[in-house]
Amino acid sequence: MKRWFPVALGMLAVGLALYPLEATGYGVRVGLQLFMWIALAQSWNLISGLTGYVSFGHVVFFGTGAYASSLLVNAGLPWPVACLGGGVAGAVLALIIGWPCLRLKGPYFAIAMLGLNEVMRVIVSYAEGLTGGGNGLSLPTLDASRSIYYAMGLVAAAVTAVTYAIVTSRFGLRLMTIREDEVAAEAMGIDTLRYKIYAFMLSAIGPGIVGGLSARDQGYIEPISVFPLIMTITMIVMALFGGKGTIWGPVLGAVVLFVFQEAVWARFVYLHQLLFGAIIVAVVLMMPRGILGVLQQKYNLPRTI
Amino acid sequence: MAPILEVRSAIKRFGGVAAVNRVSLALEPGRIYGLIGPNGSGKTTLFNCITGVDHVDEGEILLKGRRVDRLKPHQIFHLGVGRTFQVIRVFPELTALENLLVVTTGGYPEARRRAQELLALVKLERLGDEFAGNLSYGQQKLVEFIRVLMTDPELILLDEPAAGVNRTLLNELLNAVRRLRDQGKTILLVEHDMKVVMGLCETVFVLDHGEKLAEGAPGVIQADERVIEAYFGR
Repeated sequence: MKRWFPVALGMLAVGLALYPLEATGYGVRVGLQLFMWIALAQSWNLISGLTGYVSFGHVVFFGTGAYASSLLVNAGLPWPVACLGGGVAGAVLALIIGWPCLRLKGPYFAIAMLGLNEVMRVIVSYAEGLTGGGNGLSLPTLDASRSIYYAMGLVAAAVTAVTYAIVTSRFGLRLMTIREDEVAAEAMGIDTLRYKIYAFMLSAIGPGIVGGLSARDQGYIEPISVFPLIMTITMIVMALFGGKGTIWGPVLGAVVLFVFQEAVWARFVYLHQLLFGAIIVAVVLMMPRGILGVLQQKYNLPRTI
Repeated sequence: MAPILEVRSAIKRFGGVAAVNRVSLALEPGRIYGLIGPNGSGKTTLFNCITGVDHVDEGEILLKGRRVDRLKPHQIFHLGVGRTFQVIRVFPELTALENLLVVTTGGYPEARRRAQELLALVKLERLGDEFAGNLSYGQQKLVEFIRVLMTDPELILLDEPAAGVNRTLLNELLNAVRRLRDQGKTILLVEHDMKVVMGLCETVFVLDHGEKLAEGAPGVIQADERVIEAYFGR
């Protein structure tokens, strides 16, 4: 990697750290949401971009984290600890679900994940005693947007750092062999199920924490607000747009599409979904590898870009 | 000598068809064996049963005296069985070098050294950083072959190693196989090129309709009327 790159990254980090001191409340919100999308798209990338197992219900970890951490907050835990608890809840759910479902191949896994999200939403809706059911769950009021901004930023950075570490390691290469040819990976001594479960659990931690942070920021959650299918689709589109299976692709995709969405959404409330759909179609048809994927192939760039 | 691999009355059915039907064979260490037969005679299915991709419905498969017919492919690999595939199965979007690196369990620097050695062995050392999917058919075949050697397996199964490989490369490949045998490895190969089979193998098994039709030295097999009949009809 070029030497200026870490320097530029460092300066960007300092800039982002100083930003809330000057920004309005709305500006901080926008910033923390951007971080949230980076963390989500990057987490999806960890399982789906690297192993090729497309998770069509990844928001289930976001929702589970949101509920787990909200319950922990209401039980009296400080919110940063509760949000980490949300990450643990995500990882535990991933283990329970991954064990049977990661044996499924191709579209079957995607459908199973889609179903899982719906099932979790229904379970949360019916477990009124614990979750408040359809009435939702309120958290004690707290003005912590700036702290949550930093926490979200840390999670986004951490998930990206983990992705970097994985992609540049043999563990990451082995995850990619599953995407490339699972039968050959097995025949070459790679315990593919175990690797998939590891990747799946890793990919569930980020959304779990982020779900908790988002819930803390909103102060109120309900089943339809934390298990929406559109969130899964958005993180998939972001990762695909930037380049799935790359380190910086999901970050790039999240930044570009989020900024685009904010700009368009402010003007055309309904049209932005249509545009989003158009982007999905365009990306899949014209550059299935995403922006970075195309650049990597064209200029023979290393995987670390 | 005790056999390294023993297949005892193995049966594998797909629906009503027995793709492998009561096949028994034993491989002694340090020899090269051939597995031949017309298309659809069960050669690849037998390979799949030995390597855990498929599981036999009846019968036993023993590796160094240990039952392995219920193990998963990655477990069998770690017991010292490596294989290549009839249809190339390199990891196309990994580089040639990475294709090798994913296989080992040892330390990284050591794995790199070993991988470079193997690339040099098949004269691909300058293509290590090329994506495997960009290599020619023959080169991919070689990458698949040396990938098997990363962990020094005792038993190597090669599914049509000669198909699509040009003469020069083929001779390199055959010499490499002989050298492996000289190091004490056991090799079982499926091959349609009779010249290769007859020139390389010490013992040949013939499969037809899932059953073992004959077994013996190449010269004996070539003259066997049942074998000729299976290939050319009566």
